[in-house]
Amino acid sequence: MNRRFDLHVLGWLLLLTSALLLVPLAFAIAFHDAPGPFLGALLLAALAGGGLVFMTRTRERGLRARDGFLVVSGAWLITSVVGALPYLLAGVLGPVDALFESVSGFTTTGSTVIADVTGLPRSLLLWRAMTQWLGGMGIILFSIAILPLLGIGGMQLFKAEVPGPVADKVRPRLAATARTLWGLYVGFTVAQWVLLMLCGLDWFEALCHAFTTLATGGFSTRNGSVGEFGSPAVEWVVIVFMLVAGINFVLHYKLLVGRWRDVLRDVELRYFLAVVSTAVALLLVVLWDSGGNVHETVRAAVFQAVSIITTTGYVSADFERWPHAAQFFLVALMFFGGMSGSTGGGPKSLRIVLALRSLRATVHRFIHPHAVVPVKYHGQVVGDEVLSGVTAFLTAYALLAGAAAAVVAAAGYDFTTAVSAALTAIGNVGPGLGAVGAMDNFAHFPALVKLVLSACMLLGRLEIFTILVLCSRQFWKH
Amino acid sequence: MRALVVGGGLVGSTLAARLARDQHDVVIVESDRERLQGLAEDLDVQVVPGNGTSVEVLRSAGIGECDALFACTASDEANMVVALVGSALFKVPRVVARLRDREHEASFRAIAQQLPGEHVCINPDQAAVEKIMSLLPVPGATDVMTFLDGRLIIAGFPIPTGSDFEGLLLSHLRLLFPSPPVLAVAIRRGDQSFVPHGEDEFRAGDLAYFAVDPRELENVLKLLGVRRGSEERVMIAGASRIGLEVAHRLEAANVDVTLFEDDVRVAEEAAAQLKRTVVVRALATDREVLEEEGIQRASAFIACTDDNSLNVMAALLARRLGAARAFSLVDNPALTRLVGELGIDAVISPRLLTVGLAVQFVRRGRVRAAAALMEDLVELMEIEVESGSRLVGPPLAQLGLPRGTLVAALLRGRSVIVPGGAERILVGDRALLITTTSRAGELDDFVGGK
Repeated sequence: MNRRFDLHVLGWLLLLTSALLLVPLAFAIAFHDAPGPFLGALLLAALAGGGLVFMTRTRERGLRARDGFLVVSGAWLITSVVGALPYLLAGVLGPVDALFESVSGFTTTGSTVIADVTGLPRSLLLWRAMTQWLGGMGIILFSIAILPLLGIGGMQLFKAEVPGPVADKVRPRLAATARTLWGLYVGFTVAQWVLLMLCGLDWFEALCHAFTTLATGGFSTRNGSVGEFGSPAVEWVVIVFMLVAGINFVLHYKLLVGRWRDVLRDVELRYFLAVVSTAVALLLVVLWDSGGNVHETVRAAVFQAVSIITTTGYVSADFERWPHAAQFFLVALMFFGGMSGSTGGGPKSLRIVLALRSLRATVHRFIHPHAVVPVKYHGQVVGDEVLSGVTAFLTAYALLAGAAAAVVAAAGYDFTTAVSAALTAIGNVGPGLGAVGAMDNFAHFPALVKLVLSACMLLGRLEIFTILVLCSRQFWKH
Repeated sequence: MRALVVGGGLVGSTLAARLARDQHDVVIVESDRERLQGLAEDLDVQVVPGNGTSVEVLRSAGIGECDALFACTASDEANMVVALVGSALFKVPRVVARLRDREHEASFRAIAQQLPGEHVCINPDQAAVEKIMSLLPVPGATDVMTFLDGRLIIAGFPIPTGSDFEGLLLSHLRLLFPSPPVLAVAIRRGDQSFVPHGEDEFRAGDLAYFAVDPRELENVLKLLGVRRGSEERVMIAGASRIGLEVAHRLEAANVDVTLFEDDVRVAEEAAAQLKRTVVVRALATDREVLEEEGIQRASAFIACTDDNSLNVMAALLARRLGAARAFSLVDNPALTRLVGELGIDAVISPRLLTVGLAVQFVRRGRVRAAAALMEDLVELMEIEVESGSRLVGPPLAQLGLPRGTLVAALLRGRSVIVPGGAERILVGDRALLITTTSRAGELDDFVGGK
């Protein structure tokens, strides 16, 4: 491990974060908001980053797998802290709440501790949406795209941040891959921004929602989320872009370069779409008797199903008034999540597909004890290391969710609240049920619960292992 | 440039690493899953799983857009298929095929002639033979290369303790060898390799690379304390392709050759092919037989069996038993460096030589020859200077070459010039440039000009 260089990289990332703070700072000046909070955060980050970069100059530049875990975890932690500074300095939130809001932002969870977001200065709302947008495609990927420093060993960072069991490059060079993915991301964001404006939103709200949709984040500029606009057109646009964000960006790239055959044949995509349609169908069956007109029911079902499975977490209707079966389906969707290589959270469709296939193979082996039963994906045999990685991930995911739920319950909350809060945090979804339902927020939790849930969000976004290995004593030896 | 490398073994992966380092876009096709994973982790390249002989796989690896194709799987046949598919179906402008078998090479050449684009086959064994044959005439050298139409030799020598070179300032070389000049072009000291300048001095234990006019070679050897034996007696361990070819060539040059081969059939076959060579049926590490055959009087011992570790052991033993020099064939890059420190005079890696030749082939611009020294840390290239190149014009000292770069020699007409800072490079010159590998990309841009 090359700790000196790790710190050096982290220093550069701090500088990068401080540079990003220029955006809300500019907006604050333009909106005549107080620029102080952003200026303060910017200067603190720049000073810390500059100092770190200066103190850790080194000629040995190379990152091994271990450095990757350390740098990526460290980067997410420090950007979360920097991201919390504007809330804190603006006097809007206390330290724990500010950190929770910032982590919830960068991890694209979208759970909030702010009861009335409309009371916030607009520049702060923009920063809140921007944290999600940056975290969606990934701050590390962003750095790889623009910092040549990360060219060597960048693959280790890439692997540690990109969601899914296997990291795919779309271009031969990592920096080019990062630029391509970010380019697509920016393109989609602009497209949604324009469409939302055409649907009648003002430019600012349209921009904030484009930021948080593509990131599958779910922060809104309204207390009642997207539902408050009361515009079917807006909701349909958001539905489409939530789906786009929940799909592997490598597939978007393939579509762009005309390799649509690969896209059509993609097993994970088919599976993902099948789960979405099944969920919508089940919701429709349950909601059919609830009255209201057909279009509204369909729209609400589609919106809510897509919002939860892509782990965006927007709300268009108060689903806590829905029948219990419908609420159950929504929570169950949190177990699926977006596709690997998307901006969505959750365990990822690919892992579920592989787990199911591995389950089928095991059953097959019970029936034919001597049979050779490889698990295949796209015609290729999937290695045991990948399969056991998937199993380990799902186990860790369930255990972690259980532990977090226990903490929430210990703080005196009911079962539904505890379980849904834990799942929504680790799956980076946003809303839950009970005391953290569609129309509630997370402000009422005690500080400890907020910290535990923040940790869950980070673990969920970095897919557990990246952080978990840091807790191993083996890791710190040498 | 976009390069497609088929086969991710030692040659493929080393080649890919070199190309990626030179800022090319590299895609590797490899069928072995574990190997793929390693490649994806260690190199900034794109890996495509699958069999490279399949047109479908090649297409998905983007062969249509690639500027150079390298077929370097372990199988000759597969390499031929890949190279021919690349040329015939996809019109790849530059194709390199690694072929070990002479017959394959001939057939490939015959077919490739009819196809568009440039083709080259690289034979790793042949490359190793050439390397051995260039090493043999220069006693004491760990590496020998020739540049500028054979008018300049680049040779690496260890600086022994107590030799006249110890403590010598580089700028004083000019006093020792006023004309034709001798130049030190690269030095390895411990873990460091660098392109030295006038204020550096030689130290005992350095490995120094000299650019020498062939006529001045004997004087350099004398100063280094290297003595040339009166007669040439070469011992070869292993009747591998390389061993046999070297024996053939040495026979033709009237050198006494003894060949050791353990396998009866292989030994008999070798004896039938060779004329004057003494073929001995024994393991290369059999001390008694080696002594019996007069290892103590051997001017060189070349270990070239197919077993890397056996080669190392045999070469070490031969050196201990009194052979004047010992070379060993080692293809394992981790061993290469270590072995040099153990006291084997030269380590030859057929596969790394292959990589060097392949890279040379695709170098842009007018690169006539290129070579890498010291595990790729220092690079040499011979280029033809064209009009419009940034090398032409101002005196060398004001040219603004990348740091650590040296213009070692110029070939102007028929004379070799070792330029000083005031010298100017003219259009039509051939220049030998030396640079540390980390700056090779910069130098490429510089030379490419325009």
